[in-house]
Amino acid sequence: MKMVNMAGGRARARGLFLRAAWLGCVAIGLCVIAQAMPARAEGFGELGSSAACKALRAKYPDLVGKTLVDAVNPHTPGYEALDPNDPSKYIGFDIDLAEAFGDCLGFKLTYKAVTFAALLTTLSSGQADIVISDIYATSERAKAADFITYSKVFDGVLVEKGNPKGITGINASMCGTTAAENTGFVEVPLVQDLAKPCEAAGKKAPMLQLYDNNADCIQAILAGRADTYINDVNTVDQAVKAYPDKLAKATAVTLPYSIGIAVPKDKPAFRDAIMAALIVVQKEGLETKLLKKWSLDAGSIEEPKLITK
Amino acid sequence: MELFAHYISLPYLLYGIVVTLQVTGLGLLGGLMLGTVLASMQLGRSPLLAGLARAYTVIFRGTPLILQLVFVYDALPHVGIKLGAILAAGVALSANEAPFIAEILRSGVRGVDPGQVLAGQALGMTPWVLMRRVIAPQAIRVMVPALGNEAVSALKNSSLASVIAVQELTLRSTQLASSTFDFFSIFFASGVMYLALTGAISGLQLVAEALLDLDRSAARRLRAGGVTAEVPAGVSAEVPALPQARPDRGARDAALAGGAAAVEVIALHKTYGTQPVLRGLDMTVRAGEVVALLGRSGSGKSTLLRCINHLESWDSGLVRVGGRSLGYDARGRVLPARAVARERADIGVGMVFQHFNLFAHLTALENVAGPLRWVHGMPAAQAAARAHELLARVGLSHRAHALPRHLSGGQQQRVAIARALAPSPTVLLLDEPTSALDPELVEEVLDVIRRLAVEERLTMIISTHQLRFAREVADRIVFLSDGVVTEEGRAEDVLTRPRHPLTARFLRVMGAEAPAA
Repeated sequence: MKMVNMAGGRARARGLFLRAAWLGCVAIGLCVIAQAMPARAEGFGELGSSAACKALRAKYPDLVGKTLVDAVNPHTPGYEALDPNDPSKYIGFDIDLAEAFGDCLGFKLTYKAVTFAALLTTLSSGQADIVISDIYATSERAKAADFITYSKVFDGVLVEKGNPKGITGINASMCGTTAAENTGFVEVPLVQDLAKPCEAAGKKAPMLQLYDNNADCIQAILAGRADTYINDVNTVDQAVKAYPDKLAKATAVTLPYSIGIAVPKDKPAFRDAIMAALIVVQKEGLETKLLKKWSLDAGSIEEPKLITK
Repeated sequence: MELFAHYISLPYLLYGIVVTLQVTGLGLLGGLMLGTVLASMQLGRSPLLAGLARAYTVIFRGTPLILQLVFVYDALPHVGIKLGAILAAGVALSANEAPFIAEILRSGVRGVDPGQVLAGQALGMTPWVLMRRVIAPQAIRVMVPALGNEAVSALKNSSLASVIAVQELTLRSTQLASSTFDFFSIFFASGVMYLALTGAISGLQLVAEALLDLDRSAARRLRAGGVTAEVPAGVSAEVPALPQARPDRGARDAALAGGAAAVEVIALHKTYGTQPVLRGLDMTVRAGEVVALLGRSGSGKSTLLRCINHLESWDSGLVRVGGRSLGYDARGRVLPARAVARERADIGVGMVFQHFNLFAHLTALENVAGPLRWVHGMPAAQAAARAHELLARVGLSHRAHALPRHLSGGQQQRVAIARALAPSPTVLLLDEPTSALDPELVEEVLDVIRRLAVEERLTMIISTHQLRFAREVADRIVFLSDGVVTEEGRAEDVLTRPRHPLTARFLRVMGAEAPAA
């Protein structure tokens, strides 16, 4: 955990309370909300007619009527994934957030599915206009794109049920274990950095298996190839929910990052418009509402910051 | 099972098949076009173009498709070329398939027997006609299985387009698995979908192979046409017996002496690498004359014949046929291949090869009639009638619809003679026409050639080792040794009273093997 000076983070929602939140929310609230979900009926349309949004549309008239491309890695249920009931649609917190920006600034969105590692290259090649895909805004990544952060990062540690290796976080308990991670995830260097302390303690360094998406990482644990998968706590909870007899969340950890919206470096006006829209969305209480709708921890909200290099 | 049934019929995945097919189709079509260009660059004469094609092949065959996809999709936009995802995938797949398809095309073309190409050139086919009528039809048959393979591999490779956001079957399957956690039923369903697609390609390949199968189409023709119906009434299957009366030598010699020169070869020099083959050879053949070329193997007989119709070029000297210099324009400049082909057809030099060189994919009838249509523009009905007439003359009416591979060597050579005669050439060159035949088949071919000499008064130059035949048919014998004429004269004189020691030794050796009559 030496990466303190990293200015940004990749964000995902998750808190220490997450488990409790799940137990409560999942059991009661979620079912109700889920029924209402496909209609996207939360009344975002009102956001567009708010005075603040009207002012923004007047200030950034170029965006009005446009159709923008949002690159997503749709393998993270809760943030972005196919709608299991209608696979032609993407759903999740990030999708709702993007649509809220569209409502406020007057643009429409289409979604482009790419691998996680390709999110930023897709943006910088101009094949996408924006990336809202649960990506942690690290200073490394800020070299490729500007980030506007919207949430703190909480990670969960997914393990086999019963946690046979006794993993308690990204720490010495991982020495000699095998971790599955996605290519390009910030957890990768964190696990790699355990090598020295592990060897100093006379133990083996953790091994890494790199995959392309969450599903592959989860399968690696189910197949006994990996001992743990550390990722956004919400993703971990979804996996546990899908395989309650086989998987468990060992613990949750805080990472010094924030989740960010990536925008091109050469479009400062667009960046400003998104930043302004995000401030409006937070002020109107919509982000909190969405976090609740997707059973994410509302405590993870943080004020927007710009991370650029 | 229920989940599997749900996913295999899910419109979301089924639409993924459409996208997969689009990418594969684009990739194969573009790959075929680009591959054709690459193959022609490598088969052509320019070392520069061949080198460029080779470099392209090294680069695009030597790097992974996944990198090429990312390059087209993410790097090209930086230089202003922004393609949509499906098009970008199609372009990358085309670029990747092209070198593989080019190699298939190249090996297909190279696999066609060079003798057939030579025969086509001798018949006056232009490079284009040769490619279209002789090389391509045979190359395609060889290439179908390899192309089928390539299509299956392109279809599977299209799944890599998922890395550049192409919503094809694999990407849709992984996304669906992520959102539903029904990992195995989804991948099982998409696996079955891929199998159905590759199975369909294999099916198409089998159908194409069956349609192109020569034996099948030959059998079909036989069933439909029937053999006997094609034989004109009154034509016997066998070569009619030759009148026994030998022509009056004296009268014939007298007639020939007054004839114009049909072929003139003056001071011809030719070298293969450092090895001289023809060293200032002179020879004149009069219209209607039959000349037998004798000499040991390597004495230059075949090379001389090939120079006469310009299938070979030479270093210096002159070759005239019917008073015209073949292969050069009025100012002595070398003509392009197409013009040489036209000239060959106009002047009319027919050629018969040691190994027959029939077009393997065409029936006996088509071997004769085809070139008449393609080179001389003869209407189909007229060409077929002429072919039937010639096949009857060589006693092969009953085999008109047989493929060369179903004919004996002697029959094949008779068809080859009919093919060479079809355009009514002024000169017929025969390069050891019986050397590749089993002894019992030699006579039927010699009979046909005898007839041409006696009945048709055709000008012929025959290289042969058959001394008895030479004596019987040839007006004159020209003996070659090391690329020059060492002795020539009336057949009777040279064979019975050779003046040059090399001729005498040759005749002794040949006579010991097959006693002259």
